[in-house]
Amino acid sequence: MRAVLLYATLALAVGVVRAQTAEITASVTDDQGRPVEDAVVVAVPIDGRARVPPRAREGIVDQVDQEFVPKVTAVLVGTPVRFPNHDNVRHQVYSFSPAKRFELPLYAGSPAEPVVFDKPGVVVLGCNIHDWMIGYVYVSESPYFAKTGKDGKALLADLPPRAYTLRVWHPQQDAGEDTTRKTVDAARGGPAAVAWTLKLKREAKVRRAPIGEGRTRY
Amino acid sequence: MRSPLSKRNAERNCERDCARSCACIRVRVCRAACALIVACASSASNATWQFDVDAGSLYDSNLTRAYEPADIRADAAFTLDAAAGSFWALSGSDGLTLTADARTEAYHRFHGLNVLGIGASGVYKHKFGVGYAAPWIALTVAGGHDDYRGDIRDSHRLDLRAELGKRFAPEFDAAFGGRYDRRYARNDEPVVPGISGKVFDLHGQSVYARAGYAITERLLLGVELSARRGDVVATTRPDFDIFVVSDAIAADPTFGPGFFAYRLRGTTDTAKISASWALDQQSSLNVTYVEERTDAAGGVYYRSHSANLVYAWRY
Repeated sequence: MRAVLLYATLALAVGVVRAQTAEITASVTDDQGRPVEDAVVVAVPIDGRARVPPRAREGIVDQVDQEFVPKVTAVLVGTPVRFPNHDNVRHQVYSFSPAKRFELPLYAGSPAEPVVFDKPGVVVLGCNIHDWMIGYVYVSESPYFAKTGKDGKALLADLPPRAYTLRVWHPQQDAGEDTTRKTVDAARGGPAAVAWTLKLKREAKVRRAPIGEGRTRY
Repeated sequence: MRSPLSKRNAERNCERDCARSCACIRVRVCRAACALIVACASSASNATWQFDVDAGSLYDSNLTRAYEPADIRADAAFTLDAAAGSFWALSGSDGLTLTADARTEAYHRFHGLNVLGIGASGVYKHKFGVGYAAPWIALTVAGGHDDYRGDIRDSHRLDLRAELGKRFAPEFDAAFGGRYDRRYARNDEPVVPGISGKVFDLHGQSVYARAGYAITERLLLGVELSARRGDVVATTRPDFDIFVVSDAIAADPTFGPGFFAYRLRGTTDTAKISASWALDQQSSLNVTYVEERTDAAGGVYYRSHSANLVYAWRY
């Protein structure tokens, strides 16, 4: 009898907790209707109350085949990020972005210390050896964020039920991030959906493909 | 007054000394190359292998570099270049690339121009700062041997280059530089007594400027302008005006029995435009158009146009 009561109480508690969370499905497409991958969707509670995790997790930006993997990484402000190098050649990772200026001297393997991203904003990564390498760390001031997959969708789950201001950022976004603001009322809990159509510009990236020399001699 | 015999002996001694000093230089260059390879091999774990293949075709409107319309010969060729090399990041700002390459050109009509060449090059690049926009300098040493079907053109090559460049935006870069080219002809087949037959023993100095602009993520346009002062070779039928200003003459049967190759001093202005379409990160299709105008000694003036279509692949 005690066990039945205990299970009933637990089930009720879980139901109450579920009822107290909300989830928002974000969908991002370009102006031709194609899904946009690697867009970061951020939800900021309108009342300013956010349930900040006790400790920010560590992020990882890998270097594979002379490219940053993943190309876009979203982290909470204050998160340490490691930059392991899985290539045979050494890399020198740097950023001149106002949100985080740093330079990791030429290294192979994994640098001893991670880089702590302590200011919100977009940090553009580069490699001084391979100019075509470009990556982005989106440092969010809100703990509620997600990145779109190949289908252009991102799920913001386990949100406290309240109203949010949502915005989206993408490296090739033509307009500023602030122009994408949308309000979603998730105070009643349960699922909600929001969609954006972004106008994308060409990526500011140095070309990697070879150039035929087209020699003529005789 | 020196007798003809003593003069000849003096010339022979001079040739012998010259041959010795050339051999000495070759040994030193080989030693330096070996030391460099050993030094680089010691840090081989930080090296990246690179393989390049360029395959395509070219058309040249004036292969003879002749100024009389009757002597001008045009032809098309299949071209194939393959290179394997290694890149070392020596520091955050310095990189070294050592490459060995082989190339061939097979002409449709003038088979004497068919060539098989092998070579090696070293490129040292230094960046003055951090970031793609940091200016850089690149020093290149390249050498090789070209074996033509027509023996007159067989030669060793040496190419020294210094280039200064900067990327102003991810889409736009520019560079300018200077180049010294030397070609050592292997065969001396004089046809006129007292005049050298080593027509393809050449050297010259060039300055050039180039720029590239990526119009889209795939399409890159390039332009290069250069001026070269040095030896040039024009092949014509016997021509007195060229003969009197030539310092080397040889029969050039590649273009027919009555053709002779003349070595002259001249200035060549070259304009090159190119378009490169990236198929993916490892390959591209490239079209290049080159126009050359040469103003040589004795008022000899000729023009040539060439066009290339090349598929480039890199691993």
